[in-house]
Amino acid sequence: MIMQTQYDEKKHVLTIQIEGRFDFSCHKAFKDAYSSVESNCKFELDMTKVTYVDSSALGMLLLLRDYAGGDQGEIVLNNCNDAVEKILRIANFDRLFSLH
Amino acid sequence: MSLVSLNILIADDNPSDRLLLKAMLSGLGHNVDVAEDGLEAIEKFDPDSTQLVCLDVVMPECDGLEAAIKIQEMSRGRFIPIVFLSGLSDTSSLVNCLKVGGSDFISKPYNLVLIAAKLDAIIRILSLQKKLEAQRDKLSSYNEQLIHEQEVAKVVYENITHSNCLSDPCLNTFFYGHHLFNGDVILAAYKPNGGMHLLIGDFTGHGLSAAIGALPLADIFFEWTRKGFLMRQIVPEINRRLKAILPADMFCSALFVDINITDKTLEVWNGGLPDAFFFSQKQKKPQPLVSHNLPLGIVSESEFTYSTEIVSFEEGDSFLAWSDGIYEALDSKGMMFSEYQLNPLVEGRVDTDNLLPWLRRKLETEGVLDSSHDDISCLKIDLSDSIGVEQESSVAKPEELDSPSDFSFEYILNAESLKNTDPLPYILQIIMTVSGLKHYSGQVFMMLSELYSNALEHGVLQLNSKLKETNDGFVLYYMERETRLSMLESGFIKIKVSISSNKMGGILTLELEDSGSGFDTSQVKLKLEDSDELYNRGLPLLGQLCESINFSEKGNLVGVKYQWDK
Repeated sequence: MIMQTQYDEKKHVLTIQIEGRFDFSCHKAFKDAYSSVESNCKFELDMTKVTYVDSSALGMLLLLRDYAGGDQGEIVLNNCNDAVEKILRIANFDRLFSLH
Repeated sequence: MSLVSLNILIADDNPSDRLLLKAMLSGLGHNVDVAEDGLEAIEKFDPDSTQLVCLDVVMPECDGLEAAIKIQEMSRGRFIPIVFLSGLSDTSSLVNCLKVGGSDFISKPYNLVLIAAKLDAIIRILSLQKKLEAQRDKLSSYNEQLIHEQEVAKVVYENITHSNCLSDPCLNTFFYGHHLFNGDVILAAYKPNGGMHLLIGDFTGHGLSAAIGALPLADIFFEWTRKGFLMRQIVPEINRRLKAILPADMFCSALFVDINITDKTLEVWNGGLPDAFFFSQKQKKPQPLVSHNLPLGIVSESEFTYSTEIVSFEEGDSFLAWSDGIYEALDSKGMMFSEYQLNPLVEGRVDTDNLLPWLRRKLETEGVLDSSHDDISCLKIDLSDSIGVEQESSVAKPEELDSPSDFSFEYILNAESLKNTDPLPYILQIIMTVSGLKHYSGQVFMMLSELYSNALEHGVLQLNSKLKETNDGFVLYYMERETRLSMLESGFIKIKVSISSNKMGGILTLELEDSGSGFDTSQVKLKLEDSDELYNRGLPLLGQLCESINFSEKGNLVGVKYQWDK
């Protein structure tokens, strides 16, 4: 797993790019990534290179959602591959996050 | 043992060399013991106190190399450095010293400055070693303690999550976990009026942290099912409780199944688990039962959705569900197991009697069981209308004294309450305070629920049982019931309960009056033989249980008398 973040100060958007398996081993890196910015920021997860998500990754997404203020938060998941999207949809996470 | 002054054993057959080294090392503040050859060194070596051994290479009887090997055997895994003393300077003999396990060598003639420096280096290594050993011991005792605690917790966990009826012949399960604890649960409980509640759940993560959420889940599941609550009351309650106690990143993907044997329907609430399948003998392909809801423990009560699917079943149909361990697994080619390997099953090409063995073989041949990092559990139900019938609590209850009782109460529900409450568990709880009736809770609950659903569905909501005649009749009927109930603006149901009992037994009278227009009571068939239809079996059933059933002239008031003996 490799994780890279990019913060656009003007637009107040944090982009987190995750590569490889998104699972429990990402826990600390992911938490460090989103808590490095203010919680009212917009979060974009670039999922292009994510090959796999497990249930602890879903849990981490919920942590981020919590951090971003629950329903008020703005979190977008971009470019999930079919397998990843299927897992997110089974859990009905498309109701909690915007999938693009 | 101090690491400032070491206990050193010197073995050298040359008396002057031996004395010189002893003097030097003693002068540096160490405790020195001496031996005249290898054999004596082995004798004097004590793994519990000796901290450093200095061996001359060439000695009579037993030379330094042999003694070194023997001494290391005696050290029992402890690190006690061995330093060779030698006048030799050819490479191969020095290499031999290190090969047999020596840490270093001191060449003769002795140089005090060099010896002092080497001793310092050895002390550094020894103190590092000592620290490591202490940490290792601490870690292993901590680990032992942890395992012990987990084993205790596991007993409690299993008692709670397995206090169920998974051994019922209609159920088949299999289960693969990768930790002492796992995040998967399968729960099954008989409902008081026949039929069964089942739950298959998968908590986030693995191990103890995943298992901990299963305790409140199982608690609510069993307790509320036993008390006669309905699936639509239990599921939101579990969600509420898990939301309140679990950390934000923990939740439970789950599937709740309600087997209703009176209507022969199966209702499924799926929140975050992969499609479950209903195998009907009438259809070639199984019907998927899809996740329409978020998993349990994520959203608050107000956002929680209760979206279910209902199917009508017949004897011989079956139902299959699994946790996402199967779904997320990869096959031997590294592809998603679900996408490629499950197709024959999903397309109805596997014999329904053979579903679990087929799945198991598939998991084995594709190597999923060896590599899977997630827990895998699977549940199959062979459906029939005899599930949970005559399953009065099998736990032996202590004999209680039957003290006489004599009371009555009336419970009136108006439109808003009819929409939002199910009064039956509460009424049942009051009735069950009568000790003699405890053995008959199933029958009492069945009478209550028959009378109540008649009053609600045919009385207040004016639903016609004829709706149930068609193929998907029950499903349509329940959809219509939901619609009408949600739009209900007026109406009432009045429930009157009276009980009078003595030591020999007693009489329970139930009267239900509804705001509906009643019906033609002369058409009532009270014998099971008279009713060959699927539906309308409620009243004949009541007829069998009760002493008498009386309808008011209009048909909107019904009273039953139930008699029991001790």
